[in-house]
Amino acid sequence: MRIVRLIGITWWLQLKMRSRSAFDGLLSLLWPLFFATTIFLMFRQGNAAGPAMLSAAVGAAVMGIWSATSTTAAFALQMERRQGTLELLVAAPTSFALLIVPLTLSMATIGAYSMIATLLWGRFVFGIHITVDDPAMFVVSVAVTVIAIGMLGFLIAIASVRYRTAWALGSALEMPVWLICGLVVAVSSLPAWVRPISWMLAPTWGMAAIRDSAQGGGNPLAGLAMCLGLAAVYGLIGWFLARWMVHSARVNATLALS
Amino acid sequence: MKGISFAVERGELFGLLGPNGAGKTTTIKMLITLLLPTSGRAQVLGYDVVKQAREVRRKVGYVFGGDRGLYERLSGLDNLRYFAELYGVAPREQRSRIGELLEMVGLQGRENERVEGYSRGMRQRLHIARGLLHRPEVLFLDEPSIGIDPVGARELRTTVKALVDQGTTVLLTTHYMFEADELCDRIAVIAGGNIVATGTPEDLKKRVSNGTVTEIEVFGLPDGVVPAVQRENGVRSAVVEERGQAQVLIVHAEPGADVTQAVLVQLEGSRVGRLMTREPTLEDAYIELVSAA
Amino acid sequence: MTSLRILFIGGLTSYRALFNWLTPWVLIPTFILSPIVHILLFAYIGRTAGVGDDRYFLIGNAVLNAAIPCLFAMGNTIGGERNQGTLPLLISSPAKRVPLFLGRALPVIVNGFVVAVVALGVGAVLLGVSLPTATWPALAIAVAVCSFSCTGLGLLGAAVALRVRETAVMSNVIFGILMIFAGVNVPLLALPGWMGAVANWLPLTHGIEAARQLAAGSGFAAIRADLFTEIALGVGYAGLGLLLLAWLERESRRKSTLDTA
Repeated sequence: MRIVRLIGITWWLQLKMRSRSAFDGLLSLLWPLFFATTIFLMFRQGNAAGPAMLSAAVGAAVMGIWSATSTTAAFALQMERRQGTLELLVAAPTSFALLIVPLTLSMATIGAYSMIATLLWGRFVFGIHITVDDPAMFVVSVAVTVIAIGMLGFLIAIASVRYRTAWALGSALEMPVWLICGLVVAVSSLPAWVRPISWMLAPTWGMAAIRDSAQGGGNPLAGLAMCLGLAAVYGLIGWFLARWMVHSARVNATLALS
Repeated sequence: MKGISFAVERGELFGLLGPNGAGKTTTIKMLITLLLPTSGRAQVLGYDVVKQAREVRRKVGYVFGGDRGLYERLSGLDNLRYFAELYGVAPREQRSRIGELLEMVGLQGRENERVEGYSRGMRQRLHIARGLLHRPEVLFLDEPSIGIDPVGARELRTTVKALVDQGTTVLLTTHYMFEADELCDRIAVIAGGNIVATGTPEDLKKRVSNGTVTEIEVFGLPDGVVPAVQRENGVRSAVVEERGQAQVLIVHAEPGADVTQAVLVQLEGSRVGRLMTREPTLEDAYIELVSAA
Repeated sequence: MTSLRILFIGGLTSYRALFNWLTPWVLIPTFILSPIVHILLFAYIGRTAGVGDDRYFLIGNAVLNAAIPCLFAMGNTIGGERNQGTLPLLISSPAKRVPLFLGRALPVIVNGFVVAVVALGVGAVLLGVSLPTATWPALAIAVAVCSFSCTGLGLLGAAVALRVRETAVMSNVIFGILMIFAGVNVPLLALPGWMGAVANWLPLTHGIEAARQLAAGSGFAAIRADLFTEIALGVGYAGLGLLLLAWLERESRRKSTLDTA
């Protein structure tokens, strides 16, 4: 109970903080729109229509969730370090991993705003018909994908506790995940050796479930199960990683800048 | 840190003094479980800081000076709510505890403003409230009065005294000697990673400068006077401080020796202003201890 | 002499002081891996959408990535000073402004150039695009010109940073605009007319076009006009930047907006 409350309140306060920052708030709305616009223009140039356009719109929308998470997850702890709060988080009696999960969940939530913005942009600027076959399933799939992406961001954030330069790695993961998880390019069109990596990444399955529920057909539940399962695995890995990273940071004195 | 060893009694206000880089903050960070010692052992309230970190964290509070350590974009109230959550303050108790602390540090009415608009003093007070949320049994104050105005600093001292009166154990570091002198029951002086002295402020003053200090204001101190004074019998040290138009000759005397006349003889021919003889302060003691280390 | 020292030594020193990215842990992901993935991403999207060919996306996106150091590093010459609290010291120094800021631009141009050339080379290998060796010198010149013009725009951004706090947001937005408008992934002809008109006034548009023609086998003569336009735009933006810097500096002293907190 206490854990649910902790995650809930921390998530809410983090969301409040992030929506007040031009960098996290405004940019995480705009940045994916630049890519979405380019993608829409490319598909339009290629005379795509109907389902192909819808698929591109939904994919571009999910890109925003990941980009709001990947770039900020690695940066957030650097910010905490700079403002001297990272030490306070570690010094608290609550497990560090539990504090970071709501942090990255709040980023993914901000990303969900950008998902809506992208869909509206596609609808009203590019006239893409956003028809959703199974709205309830669609919403559930998006929610699960947000959680899974938050958990993937959690892994990145944890790494940056120990390594002060990890922020660069986080930003560098933005586009690879877009590409590998089949957000706009089908996984089957990627080289064969890349595909196993796609399958280990939860967004791949979340994206599949979102597409299935939007277009009808397929089995969104199977995708959701894989997505949640992988998210749980990330959580578990992150939990152990966090203990190890915090220990190492305490030995090497990397929690503070000074 | 080389090898330091000290014990703080429950309910005591213990001061840790030393120059920048001496290892005060490192010591505190080891005690509050932010750093792991490479060797040696430390216990807080009987809990080992390495093996029982969680227990230690529940019982200690940490407040540091300067304006970092707060979430700028959140209101003061939200900052407190967040940390109340992290420290597991019972939900039912949170509201009253936060209200109580806001009143104690004089921030009631301002708690809904964002911290980015707070002054240094307000931030520091919010920091203290944050550190006290979970009613810590031991409070670590790392240079808490740095950069706050004299009125704020005095209020801070009053708050700290009140906490000690209520039974909180406090470990304080500061660069302000009068603050340490006024507050601390006992003091340890760290220099170069070692403890060079421990004792009550009175002990330290006696131990180091068992004797008096004479300050003489001189307008136009001739060359060669200072070495001549230093050679006088009963003089332990003599230094000059510039104060505006005048120079002040500060002479530390051996215990029992009265050197005033001898020094005045050396100053014959110069214009002498005020003359003052005083007991050594903690600052005198500190400077001697640290320069000897 | 002093101005020359400020131009070269001052520029290089401030570059090293403001950027903590001169470590392989930042350098490799930011300046090598990211640009390459950027190229691959759009090449694959192009294949999916059935437009362009790999070479089109290779060149457009490789050159676009020169803009990252050019915009961010240049924008940060003011924003970074502000964050470190050294901005008032810089502004109150007697150093001449033109060499001071142009000096900061030089290392940035080199940085952008190297990023784009590496991306172009590695991207070509990964995608199996052949770029004849004979075209490389001319391509390098086109890339260098693009780095120069983007840095000019970056200098304008640096000037705005005297007033605007969120420099990184601004640089991101400019980057996004370049990506959409400058013919990186979508040919100008496929854009609505007004967008094409805007594109002609942006850096990169002409340079990328020149680079594509070179890779397709055109001689240097065919692209000379494009490169001159690109250079002229760079000079124009840099000049605007220096003017704006001078003006905002005076304004900020008058209105005390040059705060450091």
